Amino acid sequence: MASNKTPLISVRNLSLRFGAFLALHDVSVDFHDGELVGLVGDNGAGKTTLINVICGIHRPTHGAVFFEGREITHFHPKLAIELGIETIQQSVGLCENLSVARNFYLGSEPVKRFLGIPFLDFAKMRADSGEVIRDFGLRSNVNVDDAVGLLSGGERQSIKIGRSVALKNRVVIMDEPTNHLSVREREHVNMLAKQLRDQGLLVIFITHDIFQVHRLADRIVIMENGRKVADVTKTEMTADQLEAVIRDGGHGAGAGAAR
Amino acid sequence: MSVTQFVFFRIGGSRPSPAVGIVALTALLVVAFGVQTAGVWLSKDNMTSVLQATATLGIMALGEALVITAREIDISVGSVFGIGSLVYLGFAPIAGPLAAFAGAIFAGAAIGALNGLLVTRFKVSALIATLGTLFIFRGICYALTEGFSFEAGDALMTSRVYTVFGGGEILGVKNSLLWLVLAAFALHVVMFGTPFGNWLLAVGGDEQSALSRGVRTKAVKLVAFVLSGALAAFAGVLEASKIGFADGSFGRLQELQAIAACVIGGCALTGGRCSIVGVVFATFMLMGIQSFLVLNGVEPQWFMILLGVMIVVAMVTDRAIHRWILLR
Repeated sequence: MASNKTPLISVRNLSLRFGAFLALHDVSVDFHDGELVGLVGDNGAGKTTLINVICGIHRPTHGAVFFEGREITHFHPKLAIELGIETIQQSVGLCENLSVARNFYLGSEPVKRFLGIPFLDFAKMRADSGEVIRDFGLRSNVNVDDAVGLLSGGERQSIKIGRSVALKNRVVIMDEPTNHLSVREREHVNMLAKQLRDQGLLVIFITHDIFQVHRLADRIVIMENGRKVADVTKTEMTADQLEAVIRDGGHGAGAGAAR
Repeated sequence: MSVTQFVFFRIGGSRPSPAVGIVALTALLVVAFGVQTAGVWLSKDNMTSVLQATATLGIMALGEALVITAREIDISVGSVFGIGSLVYLGFAPIAGPLAAFAGAIFAGAAIGALNGLLVTRFKVSALIATLGTLFIFRGICYALTEGFSFEAGDALMTSRVYTVFGGGEILGVKNSLLWLVLAAFALHVVMFGTPFGNWLLAVGGDEQSALSRGVRTKAVKLVAFVLSGALAAFAGVLEASKIGFADGSFGRLQELQAIAACVIGGCALTGGRCSIVGVVFATFMLMGIQSFLVLNGVEPQWFMILLGVMIVVAMVTDRAIHRWILLR
């Protein structure tokens, strides 16, 4: 493992408080490029909250986040996207009232200038989003001009994932990416995650299915009650041992292996 | 970009534009009103007054439409309209017509910025924030005029600024109608053809998703409020130039008509859906109905009652029609 290299993303002693609720408690974790990391934990363990700090939605109460060794001082999704951090979230990411094409580049639309005024480049928006619809084998009657509200959960997920692959990124974070997906679609997503890793990207894969992610990931980070309770390469522990860690809330048999 | 693409921007789906219904309804009413009044409603004099009223209310309604598209509301526009006209008429003798015009637009934009900051930074609900500014600036209008009215002096009335912004006529109609057409064209293109329009629709449709894609949602809302304020003040200037004076009650209750025009014109109060063309036609329809009632000797309060009924009916049928389109 490339642990002697500067990590792409380094989270140091991160705490996040929502009023009286401590959502993250002193979390430190490093992520390197070319790595596929599984972030695992029960519902409410703090996985999504940690990701929301990295992708700029939440500002940490204490601690710091470094990107390529530089400390992040301003937290906004726009800045994270500019650094090449693409996040596929469960509940957000697509506006139902807008077409697939309009959603595809939302926030960083391609433009053609006329008299200095930036006009949306509809041809590019349609072509690029249409490619994703074909690649992911969506129903043939799904059109790039259809409102996202008309699509099924799986189709929406496919578009979010396809978009993250199509845009040039350095980090792709997938929050429960295979929910709502059929078996075939799930295999496709797993394959894409590996492909992105092989292209040298950092891929963070959030799930609560330890068996799925143990097959897929190079390294597994387990969270529980806002703390990191394990951080192991997959050769260090079996999926069954890791499951025991989760079941025991981080205090069980395998916790000794936590770094 | 081809011509058809330019005119028929699609925001989602091949479903009909929300403007189709209102355009058809307007056409129907034009015929019905024309027939019922034996052509008087369609006479040049009456059409001139209807179109002139449409122009100023329409410009205000277009600004309102931007805010509603972002899933907020601006009920201060009636007072901003008054402030715009008073700043324009009040400053013209002191600072000259052009500076007075610029000052009026700036005042409107500044009130819009205040509304926008209250909503985005201080997290006040838009309804409450703009209700506050509605009262504050109406009060200032009354305080400034002290029961009298500001009149356009000879120097202003003979100036080019006055002629260009609402004083002059084209084919017998005050040129404020041309300004409405220009504003509608510009806003239609901005709304459906530019990144800013895409952000506005996205913020209104699903603010969290827009934010997660890196849209600066607060800035987008702020700009919508600023444009709404500037357009309301501009409408006030045009109205002042049309009739040559303004008093403290200038634009009072017009905010409700502007909101009604948006709702009837196909803007969803829940945000994310808008029709600039629909708003313009709905404004014309409202002003046409008002004039129709006047021609028939109906008391003006009936227009208010009808306005309220139309808003409610528009909201109910809009939801039903929208559902029908989605489930088709």
